[in-house]
Amino acid sequence: MAGSGARAGPAKRPPRRNVVAWRSKAEWDQVMVGLYCGDCRLQRDALDRVSAWRSRYGNRMPLAVDCTADLIRCKILDTSGNMRSHELVLSYGLALVRFVNLITERKQKIVNIPLRRLAKEMNIPIWIVNLRHDLTHGKLPQLIACRRGCDVVLEWLRRTYWSRQLGNSLAGECEEEQNEEAEAAATEIEMDSDTEEAQNPQLPAYQKHKELHEKVREVLASYKNQQFGVLQELHSLRKARKAWCNSSSEVEWILAQIKDLLQESREVVAEALLDDGSLIPTAEHLETLNIKCEDNKELLDFKIPQTFYCFWQPLLKGLLSQDFTQTLLEKMFATLKQCSESSEFRPQYLINWIAEILTANTKAKARRKVARPSQSQINKRKLFLHRISLQWIKLIDECLEAPCWATPHLLQLILSDMELPLPADAQENLLYLSSIYTQEGSSVSSPDSSDSSGQPIYTIESLQWKARQDNQAKGQGQRLERQETAVGSVGEEDDKEEEEEMETEPTPLEDLHADNMMVIAEKRATLHGSVWQISADGVQWKDFPLGKLPGQTDDPDNLLVDSYSMMSMLDQPVTKDDGRNSPSMNSPELTGAVMEGLLWTQSDLHRIKSGLQLF
Amino acid sequence: MKLTFTGKCRLTCLYGAVRVFGFTITQEQPPYNLFSPQTHCALTIEAVTYETLEKSKKEMRMSARAMLRAHHVPRDARIKLLKNFAPLCSVVLLESLDTSVTRFILNHPEFSHIFQVKRQKGPCFTPEDAALASTGIGKRDSESGLLLSESSVLAVEELIQACCEEDDGCPVILVCGPKSTGKSTFNRYLINLLLNHLPCVEYLECDLGQTEFTPPGCVSFINVSEPCLGPPFTHQRMPRKMVYYGEASCDQDTERYIDTVKCVFNAYKREVPLVINTMGWVKGVGLLLLIDIIRLLAPSHVVQIRGEGFKDMPHFTPEYINLATGLHTKAKLQGKCKNMDVSGMEDWKQYEGESDFQTLTTGHKLLCVQPEFPGAGNAGEARVHSSILRDMAMLGYLGQLQPLETRSVLPLHSLIPYQVPFNAVALRVIHTDVAPTQIMYSVNASWVGLCRILDEVRCQTDGPILLTQTPVCDCLGFGIIRAVDTERKLYHILTPVPPENLRLVNCLLLGSITIPDCVFTNQGPEGEIPYVTSEYSYDISGAGKLKMKKHLKRREHSRP
Repeated sequence: MAGSGARAGPAKRPPRRNVVAWRSKAEWDQVMVGLYCGDCRLQRDALDRVSAWRSRYGNRMPLAVDCTADLIRCKILDTSGNMRSHELVLSYGLALVRFVNLITERKQKIVNIPLRRLAKEMNIPIWIVNLRHDLTHGKLPQLIACRRGCDVVLEWLRRTYWSRQLGNSLAGECEEEQNEEAEAAATEIEMDSDTEEAQNPQLPAYQKHKELHEKVREVLASYKNQQFGVLQELHSLRKARKAWCNSSSEVEWILAQIKDLLQESREVVAEALLDDGSLIPTAEHLETLNIKCEDNKELLDFKIPQTFYCFWQPLLKGLLSQDFTQTLLEKMFATLKQCSESSEFRPQYLINWIAEILTANTKAKARRKVARPSQSQINKRKLFLHRISLQWIKLIDECLEAPCWATPHLLQLILSDMELPLPADAQENLLYLSSIYTQEGSSVSSPDSSDSSGQPIYTIESLQWKARQDNQAKGQGQRLERQETAVGSVGEEDDKEEEEEMETEPTPLEDLHADNMMVIAEKRATLHGSVWQISADGVQWKDFPLGKLPGQTDDPDNLLVDSYSMMSMLDQPVTKDDGRNSPSMNSPELTGAVMEGLLWTQSDLHRIKSGLQLF
Repeated sequence: MKLTFTGKCRLTCLYGAVRVFGFTITQEQPPYNLFSPQTHCALTIEAVTYETLEKSKKEMRMSARAMLRAHHVPRDARIKLLKNFAPLCSVVLLESLDTSVTRFILNHPEFSHIFQVKRQKGPCFTPEDAALASTGIGKRDSESGLLLSESSVLAVEELIQACCEEDDGCPVILVCGPKSTGKSTFNRYLINLLLNHLPCVEYLECDLGQTEFTPPGCVSFINVSEPCLGPPFTHQRMPRKMVYYGEASCDQDTERYIDTVKCVFNAYKREVPLVINTMGWVKGVGLLLLIDIIRLLAPSHVVQIRGEGFKDMPHFTPEYINLATGLHTKAKLQGKCKNMDVSGMEDWKQYEGESDFQTLTTGHKLLCVQPEFPGAGNAGEARVHSSILRDMAMLGYLGQLQPLETRSVLPLHSLIPYQVPFNAVALRVIHTDVAPTQIMYSVNASWVGLCRILDEVRCQTDGPILLTQTPVCDCLGFGIIRAVDTERKLYHILTPVPPENLRLVNCLLLGSITIPDCVFTNQGPEGEIPYVTSEYSYDISGAGKLKMKKHLKRREHSRP
């Protein structure tokens, strides 16, 4: 097809960088999950974020996001139970009409193309177009039709926009396939939506969970079959390893399915992945892959046997988003805590997977800077394309909750993976603490008893407290401290990278320093006594892109405010000027409508009302 | 002799006189910076005749030589020049020009080419071209320069005459017309011509989308004493009065727009001629609004630029304006009838306004201008999309943040920002409703108007203060919220507003004017940059913004 050819062309060029309203893909993911989760409170939160996106976007808000938000708003109104059905029909109606008109708008050519034809092209069920027609030109439809329409359109948006954007890094060639699939799904839903709607709310959570788990298992089974199929075909483990890493369209399709499930529950997917026979191999499984238990030397190096790693790598690579990595690691620690020493592979594989994921993440950052995307063979085997940020403190918590012989090592991996490391002494204390706990005192030497803070660290809480204290005190010597605090070999590597980079970077800033100081001093003098000040914490601003502060994580929720105050303007300067200053301005023809808002403010009215006396 | 060129240079008139874009530069005047990018109509340096007191040719030659010497022109060049010397000739010195603002703009890959000269067809590459190229300009054919139709020449002549006579008050010249008909170019040309005769003129900007001296989205009033020898992004200036409306179009809230215009127009004291630029939205509601504006500002002259495809637009004669119904104002007769039966309040207003009505209806002089450059009035064929021009104006504004002394460009994020506590400045998002809890998310890394409200902003708590309605208030400049510190409750703001004005700022207004994308994407290749992604695909349905196809034809209409 001509279309797909044209699309494949630009894909080879370096990807265009676009400016969007969300800070990161993880946030986008989070909003999508929020919108589609079915829980009103979470949906409202997601809608609030969407409204903030709209503010950031100016007039460039993506259409599909707008349409989704409007439809979700209708659903929330519906479930709130405060509205009559006629009112709901009006709300649903507008949202649906807007969806059909706006989404087809871009496909319109100079001469108007009938909506039906466009809808067919875009796999929008034809009855949705009919519904729109009724809403605008005909008899107002019933609420039940609007509800159904809303659900079908939301599903269409999820498949056609949200899910595809989410999997965009691997979209492209399998687009046609997905299209067909979406079509099939859409028609399916069209038929089933009634019954589904009736059943869903009654389903007990447990059963829902079980069903979902089953679904994930099925998909994982199809993944395994696919990978084993490749092995069977190639008859060689070496070739198979290579083939696995060049993930096929089948694998990508499976991946897309799991990602869909991921939106319903990350926990369930993580659980299913840790079932026997998935990331934790069964004996049979290992045999097929020709992995012998005795030559599992790799296992002692905190490494997953290569063949097994390659077997799962494409799947993990696709799944390890910021949120899911967090969930998976937490789940892994939790499972580690539960499993007894007796079970054969489980603890070993859990430990090694944790180590692999953490190491991969640490390395991802370093490599990304050096490697061009074209140096693919190594890149293909990686788990992360770029480094992600996790809730480290929580991970440390989980890690310490599941003590085993490997805890100090895992802890060290976590500590060195943190982008804002804990202070050196805190790290040392923590490692020491964990090694005492696991009876391996020799591995880490006892920290100096002359602790700078004078406060020994015994618990996570005190550690967190300390970290917070340090963060506040810090600010200035951020970078310096960073180099000092690196623990372990991985951390050192990391810092070397950074140091090299710093050297190659031209630093025009330094030269101007003296001149700038003069200017800044002058400005500061002018601002003396004002609420405006020059930010001069010795922050290396150039290390932080716009919208980011030292010590600020990428978690958008950090920007939420819990307290704020509202202020209404009592004295609008315009209202005053209008009457007195310039008679020539006071156009007598201005209609009442304009003036009304300006003559009496809300608070004036309030005052007048409260002064009224009724007999 | 004429030289039409693309590029930028500094021009000093050493001898005689030349005219650039209507402005006459003589030998006593200081050097002028000329900016002629590809994005706008090219500048032309044109020799003009001038009166001279000197008698003999020899004397003239002597004084020319003295000027050349004074400007350190090398001896060879001096001799060569004087060989070609003729009475009444003009000598100019062109030097290469590099300002911190242009350096900043050119540093963005999207705009790095704007001053580059497109290769001319034909093999000839004369020594003259080489000399021009070394100063950073390239010759263009004269058609790419300013093309003035006969009607515009006549209109301009009449306006100059009106401004130079000082009989009956200062002329107030309102220029209107559809977009892409050369309103801005006409204004610049007119201002330059007026500056040949007057020390300064004043300028009221009512076009929110394509502002001349400020970033977009605001109505401003400015005293202009320097000629406009380049497009808006090369002459961002501090207005006398400015109000931030917050959007590039006024269609969402026309009442606030009218209030905004009134508020800014108040600053005009009728001591100097005023040029008013209006928006290019002249169809439907836009036309009604324009009628309101004309009635409100009561200009003495209306220049109506007429475009192709806008033939049905009425002529704005004084009679038409008197009788037409605007969006918020009504015609004289209609207004009276209608207001009779409304409340007493209305009657009172009617009464009070009676005396003003006469001044409003004294009428203006209408000057119709028919543009004659290729592509006039066809927005689709404009050289550059209007949003790109807006981005360039904003970059020009942000370029003022660059320290003057340095040769290298400092990226915006490396500059030291100002900081101000949450509870010291009020905050308002103009264009959309944002949940109060999300407010910091929405202002982070956003473009804000730095404004001053008359109310005192004070608060017991340390949280942000949110205004419940959008104020029409003084705007002292613009800035980028570089980061938000939710721990210490501080905004960090980058702005070129001088500190003495910054002290006065107590209100931040956030509109739909967004920071140019290239500011985000040019923050260096390393690491994750917030709000920048290469994974978002615009090929997916619904991924783009709402885009109305205005020229959509229905089937039945397309038939002849």
